[in-house]
Amino acid sequence: MSFIAERRRATELRLVIFAGVITASAYTLASLGKNSVIPPRILPFLAVLLLVLVSAHIAVRLLAPGADSTLLPVAAMLNGLGYVMIARLSERLAGLQTTWTLIGIIAFTATLIVVRRVNDLARFKWTYFAVGAGLLLLPMVPGLGFSSGGARIWVSVGPVNFQPGEFAKIALALFFAAYLAESRELIKNGTWRVGRFMLPEPRDLLPLLAAWGFSVVLMVGQKDLGSSLLFFTLFIVMVWIATEKAAFMTIGLGLFAMSATVAYFLFDHVQTRVSIWLDPWESYRGRGYQIAQSMFALGSGGLGGTGLGLGDPTRIPEAKNDFIFAAIGEELGLFGATAILIAFLLIIGAGLRTAMRAKRDFAKLLAIGLTTIVGVQAFIIVGGVIRVVPLTGITLPFVSYGGSSLVANYVLLALLLRISDNTAKRLGEAPDQMSAMERFEAARARRRTARTGAAE
Amino acid sequence: MNRRIGKLAVVLFGLYIVLFVQLNLIQVGRKDTLDNDSRNTRQTVRNFNDPRGDIVTSDGVVIATSVASEPGDGFDWQRTYPKGDTYTSITGYYTFGFGATGVERVENDVLAGRTAAQQITGIGSLFSGRGVTGDVEVTIDSRIQEAAKAALAGREGTVVVLEPSTGAVKAMYSWPTYDTNLVATHDADEAESVFDYLDAAPGKPLLVNAYQERYMPGSTFKIITTAAALDSGLVDDTTVWAEESEFLPPQTIDPIQNYGGKVCGGDLTEVFRRSCNTPFARMAIDLGPETMVSAAERFGIGDKVPIDLPAPAASFFGDVDYFERNIPLLGIGGFGQGNTTMVPVHMAMVAASVANEGVMMRPHVVAATFDRDGRTLRRTAPTAWRTTMTPSTAEKIGALMEEVADTGTASCCLRLSNGVRAAAKTGTAQLNMAGEPERSHAWIVAYAPAEAPRYAIVVMLKGTTAEISEGTGGTLAGPIASRVLDVALGL
Repeated sequence: MSFIAERRRATELRLVIFAGVITASAYTLASLGKNSVIPPRILPFLAVLLLVLVSAHIAVRLLAPGADSTLLPVAAMLNGLGYVMIARLSERLAGLQTTWTLIGIIAFTATLIVVRRVNDLARFKWTYFAVGAGLLLLPMVPGLGFSSGGARIWVSVGPVNFQPGEFAKIALALFFAAYLAESRELIKNGTWRVGRFMLPEPRDLLPLLAAWGFSVVLMVGQKDLGSSLLFFTLFIVMVWIATEKAAFMTIGLGLFAMSATVAYFLFDHVQTRVSIWLDPWESYRGRGYQIAQSMFALGSGGLGGTGLGLGDPTRIPEAKNDFIFAAIGEELGLFGATAILIAFLLIIGAGLRTAMRAKRDFAKLLAIGLTTIVGVQAFIIVGGVIRVVPLTGITLPFVSYGGSSLVANYVLLALLLRISDNTAKRLGEAPDQMSAMERFEAARARRRTARTGAAE
Repeated sequence: MNRRIGKLAVVLFGLYIVLFVQLNLIQVGRKDTLDNDSRNTRQTVRNFNDPRGDIVTSDGVVIATSVASEPGDGFDWQRTYPKGDTYTSITGYYTFGFGATGVERVENDVLAGRTAAQQITGIGSLFSGRGVTGDVEVTIDSRIQEAAKAALAGREGTVVVLEPSTGAVKAMYSWPTYDTNLVATHDADEAESVFDYLDAAPGKPLLVNAYQERYMPGSTFKIITTAAALDSGLVDDTTVWAEESEFLPPQTIDPIQNYGGKVCGGDLTEVFRRSCNTPFARMAIDLGPETMVSAAERFGIGDKVPIDLPAPAASFFGDVDYFERNIPLLGIGGFGQGNTTMVPVHMAMVAASVANEGVMMRPHVVAATFDRDGRTLRRTAPTAWRTTMTPSTAEKIGALMEEVADTGTASCCLRLSNGVRAAAKTGTAQLNMAGEPERSHAWIVAYAPAEAPRYAIVVMLKGTTAEISEGTGGTLAGPIASRVLDVALGL
């Protein structure tokens, strides 16, 4: 019997290899462009690249055989191109990024192992709430949190520094999905009569408002506008889709407009961001410098780019991180930058398709939340770099340098694949037989039973 | 919920479309604006980390090259000019923060290896690690250039030597000038202070006075007036001018005088040889504004000198309307005084066009460009710019100029070795008003040998010192021209 799942895995393997070829070629070209030599460490590079791609593919094949076939290859390509840019900017960071990628793939596999049925996750909603809130507040704990680049979003535990916000966004998506799946009917229809209106019980709305409150706390306490904007969008989108009421969208946008206006007048750093966005040239020697350099980089890239290794992206501050999109736009031009945008659209497409196909509300809402996180986060930072929206420092998923971001996004990807795989099993696209893990556990259980039986 | 998911998809897609549109606006729409923004140092920095080809003279002397920077410099290559200030008028400079001039600027693409031809042949060299830089050969001959520098001997002015038949510039030296190595330093503060100093220095050393400035030409301009008069048929061999010391043109009570108030007259050969002023004033006025202005235009006066170097100046004569209302100034302009100004290299081109049967060639300093492997990228083909006079007029004026060299105003001082005959015209452009201390530019234009011209030359000495101002074009500029032409003809 031939399952659609088998074809999906075959497609995925081909696409993953294609992503590998793109990455390896780009890596070689960047080295040729920069130093006019074939990269000296090309063989170890190819070995690690192959290891990462193949092990990720095997993990999906064994643990989520029915999952969507495009998500992993697209993420791998983004990760690969990001790595090439980072390697071209700094060899030291490239080594670290390799480590983060490996840890990311391990986290990806671990997520697929731990989470078998995504609906099982719905039970722990208050845990997610607590974890999410805890992670978000962690950087504000004296002694643990510290500021870097103006935003207090880092936590230092022993030798490890990380950005808890990257993981908090998954926790919040899980919480919103679980809570809304349970209470959406109550919120939607309203049981609290106020005059002529039927409103949701405050009891039902309170947890959501609390979650929204955290995003305001983020904005105020950590000066992390990007994450705050991301959480806010996540909140509005999920409530809107769960309740199917445009009124919630309107109210949400109203709340957003209100808090944004208040923030603008209360906080200098918000005003600065806006004025730089409107005219970066005016403060060229000051805070507008980053954006101005980003504009110069994109301009010098033009249509086809300067070529990998032939541009001058080191002139853009934070090119490895917030501004990696400008560095790509410089060396790969409009074509390369557009390819990155299309890659994110593919992830959005695959994610929303997963959401549409999912049956249970929780899985559906979780897929929407996770997809919104990736799609909107990429929009916020790309839009910031190219002056569509005010610049707020967050990472470009899978592309930017950074361990927390990469690991969190691979976990997010694994959850999306798990939802997709669950649906495939339900629809009979994938064999509903025991997975390798389940067989292993069943065998262990049998052995245990046999042993205890023998003892009796 | 699926309908809402569909809407969400549309919204997110719309957001990415906005990104795509904005990306187009920046990377395509505003590309030029961004690239040309003065704060955008990307291009310069890129250039400074790449090697750059050499500039060499026609006899193989390297006059600009790139050497590895000293450690800690911040850039990989340092531009150096082995001959100091000798070739500043030609090479110009190539600086980090202050742009480039001269051949460094006009042939930047070749030197940096950025022409399409170099990029294509350079693909192979990517793997060997060699650059794709190109070299530029200039028409300048180092021996003539050195002779020009030595002969000028620190006097304010310029010497330009041309090949009349091709327009190739064989020497071009201007003073004041400066050592381009001083501004090629990567130390921005140091370079800026040198520029500030040069900018404020007297004599404008940052401008090459051979082709970026213009000066009153004095009697050398009589070549142009004579050509106009001969071509129009106004004068011929039989025309004779009365002996007079001054001439009162219409519209004024202020008469035009000969140099030093001398009595002067005779046929064309005589008045040209002795450089009388009144006959040429009469000629210009008799020809009238229209004919004189169109003759000036035929010589290219009013247009930028078509030399292949950046920012050349244009010579100036005046327009018809202006002269209609100022007939006396037309007369004065007829012998190169008043508002008339000539770019020195243009004056050499005027003499060269006499030597070249009335065809004025485009002056050029770039002989050829080569890629890394020595293949020729482009070789400058000599092209005509203007036809200034008929061949028969050119022959007649040639004879007049030979007479100047043999027995006239240049005979004292333009004496070539080995009995080589020259053709010349001198000029002493009076800058002072009547009653003021004498102040004048000293000019000579010449070509040699008279029978088969190989070189045309202009020597112009600015009237900024007493020595120059008290002399005449012949006595001051003549010996300089002799020394340079002797070296050139001896090659």
